[in-house]
Amino acid sequence: MDPLLTFIVILVGMYGLSTSKNIIKSVFSVTIMESGVILLFLNLGNTEGGSIPIVSRASEVIADPLPQALMITTIVIGSTVTALALMLCIKVFHHYGTVEWREILARGGGK
Amino acid sequence: MLFVPVYIIFIPIFTALVIYLFKNRYINYLALIAQAAITILLVLYHYAYTGNYENTLFYFGDWHTAGISLVNDEISEAFLFLSVFSWWMVLLYTFEKGKTDHHFLFFLMFLQGVFLGLLQSNDLFNLFVFLELTTIIVTILIAYKKTGDSFRAGIYYLLINTSGVLMFLIGIILLYNTFGTINIQYISTAIHVYGEETAVLFAYVLMMGGIAVKSAFFPVFTWLPKAHGVSASAISALLSGLVVKGGLYLFIRMNEMFAGANINYTEFFYWVGALTAVVGVMFALSQKDMKQVLAYHTISQIGIVMMGLSSLHDSAMFYGGLLHIFNHALFKSLLFLGAGIIIKAYKSKKVGEIRGVMRTMPFVSVFMIVGMLSITGAPFFNGFISKSIIKYGIIDSGIKYWILFVVNIGTATSFIKLSQIFFGKKTMTIRLKAVPQRVTMMTLAFACVVLGNFYIQIGEGFFGLPLQQITVTEWAAFFDYALALSIGLLFYKLVIEPDYKPVRYIRNFKMSFETANYLFVVFLVVMSVYFIVL
Repeated sequence: MDPLLTFIVILVGMYGLSTSKNIIKSVFSVTIMESGVILLFLNLGNTEGGSIPIVSRASEVIADPLPQALMITTIVIGSTVTALALMLCIKVFHHYGTVEWREILARGGGK
Repeated sequence: MLFVPVYIIFIPIFTALVIYLFKNRYINYLALIAQAAITILLVLYHYAYTGNYENTLFYFGDWHTAGISLVNDEISEAFLFLSVFSWWMVLLYTFEKGKTDHHFLFFLMFLQGVFLGLLQSNDLFNLFVFLELTTIIVTILIAYKKTGDSFRAGIYYLLINTSGVLMFLIGIILLYNTFGTINIQYISTAIHVYGEETAVLFAYVLMMGGIAVKSAFFPVFTWLPKAHGVSASAISALLSGLVVKGGLYLFIRMNEMFAGANINYTEFFYWVGALTAVVGVMFALSQKDMKQVLAYHTISQIGIVMMGLSSLHDSAMFYGGLLHIFNHALFKSLLFLGAGIIIKAYKSKKVGEIRGVMRTMPFVSVFMIVGMLSITGAPFFNGFISKSIIKYGIIDSGIKYWILFVVNIGTATSFIKLSQIFFGKKTMTIRLKAVPQRVTMMTLAFACVVLGNFYIQIGEGFFGLPLQQITVTEWAAFFDYALALSIGLLFYKLVIEPDYKPVRYIRNFKMSFETANYLFVVFLVVMSVYFIVL
């Protein structure tokens, strides 16, 4: 897969963030963007025909292990962010009765 | 001694975990003990390494190009002292005998460890992890009051900052792809080789975009007044005084890293800073909520800091911006803590409803007035010094100087509005028994005055900067201040107090989340055009 294609995934996420009027959709957009970033780094770190970077390797060419190590951390952080955001979503819904950004603004939640 | 950076990251985090595990009233004192331990370690570390900061470089597991590493220099060490000091203030302010909330202490101490890590980190991915952790913990602290507004401000903060930090991460990926390392020092030595490549420039743009969201630059500042206005006062003091400066610190570090890349950022970020300052003051003038006024003033002061920092390294103006970060941390914490006491006593946040604070709470009022004099830049107070350094840097360049003057007038006006709360009759008798809260405010006010009077010694001691050309007892300085104050008073009486329609319009202006994100994308595009195409 071309690394440029992953930029499209990131752009989809950014498009979602700057157009969706629903908190849940915004959370999903952030998640999509994050997946795009992870795919981008894994793609750039990938070596054509390389094997996994562990001791018993089949071929002499091995993939760069650093992107994979870093992206595991990113995935963990991303899942934390998603969980926290969804929890706050529920709380916002309990207080305002809606998860639409503009309706919350209209109901006095702008401060 | 080499391991001190690791200790001061992990002592607060382990303390937080222990406090959360045991949850009894005696274990809370552990927070104070840990804080004292960090302070002592930091002082020892300072005396061990002053003058030879290259020896502070520390690699985990000896992985040089790809591993975690920590390093300190003058600037990061000054920030370390500032953050430990701020945490002392907030800990003392919120500490009640045997009653302090365990969850709150857990998040507070955890945030300290993470923030100290952010300041010392020497590799980009570590920086990203600490940035994202700060975002998560700050979100929880914002939502800690558990009102509808605070939950909404929390999710707004979380989502917009996460998207900013993800932009930062894409920048890191592009740099890794170009240089094969994530170590800041290695990249900064090799950056001139690829200084013209589009990938490196694009990485610069994306990283600056992430930093812009983190530290609330002009088009993407909308999360800050929401977040800092609704959280508890001690948290607001910490966030406004210190945590938002994490972004500005990264701005310094990243521009150091990209110094060899032939990027001319001075003009662009000067104007971003000027716009931030003007817009922040404009919004602050129209607000009626005390904490919202203070929060919008954080934005305008960040703009002033940016005007200084955007200037080239080692110029006097750069150090003026740096010094303003420290001064702002002191007086904004002071103002927020004082506002917290007043709001708690009067049970109202509206400036129009609070009167007679001077007679009711003389101590708090005196300290608040010290903070207000500092933020408006009165001679003999600390705000004057840093604003003067920035002013001397741009005094010959016409419109740049006038923008700073207009911002000063706006600041004076809005603090004249805020100072109306002191006048009036005594409305209630309040017996403030909270000694620690008074002690913290007194310490902060004292620091403001000391920095405003002994700036020559402090400037030489910390930054090695000669500040003799700034004299406090100069007639021109008094005249400038009096001029700003009198124009501000006129402006207040004629425009702000009658509450005309434009003022009301600005006050009721609210920006939805998707619009804020749209502006972020526009900001990224503008930066790409400026730095890559032009």
